[in-house]
Order: sequence, then C-alpha cells, then structure tokens
Amino acid sequence: MNDRKNDAWPPPAFDVTGKLGLVKFNPDGSSHLRIIDPEVCRKVCHQKFCTHSCPAQVYRWEPDEALITISFEGCLECGTCRSGGCPYANIEMRYPRGGFGVQYRFG
Amino acid sequence: MTASGQKPGSTAYMAGAAGSGLPRFEAIVVGGGPSGLAAAYTMADAGMRVAVIERGDWSGSKNMMGGMIFTYPTATVIPDFWKEAPLERHITRRDFWICTKDATIRGSYETEDFGVEPCNAYSVFRSRFDKWLAGQAKAKGAYLITETLVEDLIQENGRVTGVRTGRPDGDLRADVVILAEGVNTFLTEKAGLGPGMKSEYLALGVKEILSLPKEKIEDRFNLEGDQGVAIEAAGETTAGLPGTGFIYTNRSTISIGVGVMLKDMVDRVTEPYFLLERFKEQPQVRRLISGTSPLEYSAHLIPEGGLHNMPRLCANGALVVGDAAGMVNAVHTEGANLALLSGKMAADTVIRCRGLGDYSARALSHYCDLLDQSLIMRDLKKYQDVAPFLARHPQLFRLYPEVMSTALKELLTVDMLSKSDKHRLIAKLVHSEIPVRRLARDIYDIWRTLA
Repeated sequence: MNDRKNDAWPPPAFDVTGKLGLVKFNPDGSSHLRIIDPEVCRKVCHQKFCTHSCPAQVYRWEPDEALITISFEGCLECGTCRSGGCPYANIEMRYPRGGFGVQYRFG
Repeated sequence: MTASGQKPGSTAYMAGAAGSGLPRFEAIVVGGGPSGLAAAYTMADAGMRVAVIERGDWSGSKNMMGGMIFTYPTATVIPDFWKEAPLERHITRRDFWICTKDATIRGSYETEDFGVEPCNAYSVFRSRFDKWLAGQAKAKGAYLITETLVEDLIQENGRVTGVRTGRPDGDLRADVVILAEGVNTFLTEKAGLGPGMKSEYLALGVKEILSLPKEKIEDRFNLEGDQGVAIEAAGETTAGLPGTGFIYTNRSTISIGVGVMLKDMVDRVTEPYFLLERFKEQPQVRRLISGTSPLEYSAHLIPEGGLHNMPRLCANGALVVGDAAGMVNAVHTEGANLALLSGKMAADTVIRCRGLGDYSARALSHYCDLLDQSLIMRDLKKYQDVAPFLARHPQLFRLYPEVMSTALKELLTVDMLSKSDKHRLIAKLVHSEIPVRRLARDIYDIWRTLA
C-alpha cells in the first residue's frame, strides 16, 4: 500500500443514488454492516477506500464528524467490503436477515 | 414486524418451532442458486428428503451474473430445460473487442449452428431462471424454505450435523449439508474449510439492465428473431485495469457491465460504477445503447482464483459447491455451468454415501474424485496460472491495445509512404514501446498460460 497517496479524501466521482433508485430493497430495521474500529477510519485510512470500492456507496465519509456513515438500506450484498474493499479489514459484514435486503427482478 | 421477527405476510412455513411440522431431512442445501438447486434437484429425483434454504424471497432474488448459460452442461442436470425455462435470446455470435481511447479492434465469430435447438448458449436473467429452476426441484420433491438465512452450522463431535437459521427455534438437522452459499463463504469459513476468498483473486462485477425495443436491438446488433450476441471488451474498457466489459442482448433489454479485479480497483482508488459509466460512454458502446432507459443496477463478486483460492471441499457431513468452491473459469466466462455440474456431482456423491450409510469426509471425498475426473478440475488446472499471469502483466490491458491500434492505424492510413516504409515505421513504433525480448517473452508466457 506504499503507492497510496496520503492526501485529503477525494470524494467518489459519481453519485449512484439514481442507480440505486432502480433497485428494489426491503430494508431491515437495523444494519447488517458495522465499522469495527472507527479510529482506523479516522487516523489510519486516509483514502477512505470503502467510499470508493462499494458499488452502492453505502459508506460515506463525513469530514465534520470524522466518521464513516453506513446506508445499509441500499446495500447490494456483494461482499466487497468484507473481501478487500476495506484493505484494513475494518468492516464486519453479515447478510441481512432472511427476506430482507436487495431483491433483484432481473439479476 | 411481528414478534417473531418475521416480515408481515411472510409465506415461510417454518412458523413457530422449526422442528414441528417439518419432515426430517436427509440433506440440507444452503443456497438456492444454480449449484444448490442442481444438487437438490438431483437428490430429490433419487427419492431423498431434501430441503433448500434460501435467504431471498425467492431463489434468484439475490443472484446476478452477465450473463448467459450454456445448454449442454445445464441439460445434464435438467434435460430439455430449454423447452420451458425463461430464456432471453440464443447466442449465435460472440464478439471480442480490444479497446483504446479512440479505437476498437474487433474479432467476431458467428455460426448458424449456434441457432439450432438446443442452442449452444442463451442469455438469461438469474432472478427469473433460478426461480424456475427452484420450481423444477420442488416438482421433484425438494422442500424450498425461502426468506431464511442460515447463520451458522451445527457441528458436533467433529462433524456437521445441521444448520442454525435465523428463525426462532430454527435449528435443522440432516445427515449431510451442501454448502452452496455463493462467493461470500461465511459458512465454509465457519466449518474451517478455508480462509475465504482473497481480494487478489476476486473480480467485482457491476451491471445495468437497459430497456430497448426488440426491433431496435435486432437492427443495432445485426440480429434476427431470437438471435443474440455476447460481447466482451478488454483494454481501455476498464481503464487499463485487469478486467473486461460485457454486453449481452436479451429479448427487449441489454445487459451491460464491467468486471474488474477487486484488489487492483481498490489500489487504484477507482469506483466500479465509474468504470461502468466510462464503458457506456465509449463511442462504439454509446451508439449501441443510445435512447435506452435503465431498469436495474446490480453488483456481485466473482471468485476467479480457481485452484489458488479453493477451500477444502469435503468435511464430515458437508460438501462445498459452486461459487463457494471457487468454480469459475474466468478465461471462458464460465461459472454457472460449473456450479450446476458441481452441484450434480455433490448430489451423486451424497446418493452414493446414502447407500453406504456413511457421510464421513472420507466417503464424501468421492465428490473430489468426480471433480478431478471432470472437465471442471481439468479446466481449472489448465488455467490456474492466468490470474497470477495477469497480475504480473498489467501492460496487457493498456500498452498492448495501444500498440496494436497504432500499428493498424498506420497500416490502414493511405498516404504518400510506400508500404515498405510503412512496415519499417510500424516495426520501429512497436519496438520503441515493447523491446523485442520482452515481446517474445510475453508471447511465450501467453502461449504457456493459455495453450
């Protein structure tokens, strides 16, 4: 990870809200995703990798509050965040409970 | 939300205690995708009491691929499936593009033979096809339990004896559990069969379904009737990252997406949807999809590590199949067919073990023998060096397309240079970008990796 720049967080270049609007979700009441240690996001991870790697932009960095917010309702359940999407392995992902989450009509 | 934590109107029939009202199952399949349903269908067909546990509202509701299915392997599980299954178009043409910023080099293969029933391949929607497949398994007697997440395995005395679902009193026991849980191998990891899929061996695919009237699809893609085309594009398509773009024609929609190696994408701090938008904006793609409206966006991981990232596949009382077992041939974009075949082989093994009354890892390892003898392991062995090869040769996805394009452009531009001078100029251009020794070594490496 040496070649990674340690400069200020650049936000994603594209907003996926419109794309997610096409997807049917049945969100559960509580999150199936969790940041394990917020200090890692704050102090170690300068790039905020999850805000870029997640195809659903579930993770957003809030500079004012210095934390990652999780919009789990729009999660596509791909598993990127648990499998290298966070290079610090600082995200715990489970599947939503049965019957909840994304519902592909085409897939 | 009801007191039991189930959705209102949930049709699930594990109401109350899971044990009550349910038969005792000989086999439990975790996951209602292609591999799990192939296993369930085969076991139920042999008269076994089988349950499929699917976390979605229906089989397929969490599934996504490019994609097309290949007929021959699918028919070995469900004979004559093409007569009834929800299929989109039969693929009569395969196009391969190598793209640079401003040019496309195309290869194409088309044959009437691919249009003769049963056709070689069909474009499908996973969500609809898997729902149909589940219906077939059910018709054979398999028990479908939907809207139910398996949260853990029940392990006793060193063997898997059942599953723990998210439902109240949701433990279910069986002689054998088939793990068809897909690329996110929560349970396979819990069974101690492997560490899970590594990011350097995972590809992330994102896709959109775009609607376009049937006639326009046929005009734009040069098709007639139910003919379809599958396009794969490499190079600038993925901004030089190892990966490809793809386009599949469906009846009145187009599936368009990109798949890139996850680790490279993360290292470059690139967004997957940005790559998809970029692909859609390339002129040769823009012309094909102009005037379409998007219907759905989706994302899924693909386990491309093959033998490098495969968990152990047999435990006492458990087998691993499909994506969870790393059964993807990335070079030939095959996954669902390997999933189906592996599911069937697991089922055949279980049927044999049932006769022996022995579900130990040793007895179940017959599954590994079947895999080894089959095209699955032979193909995965053959292509086992591709992923490491691509990691060592990032130039393949940017430098080589550029050099090929420059050479072709020079050759096809008619000006006042003699052809001999042009050939010399092209040779010089190529050598300035790629030293002869490196070119020779790369060609040798490619040949050794793929041939």
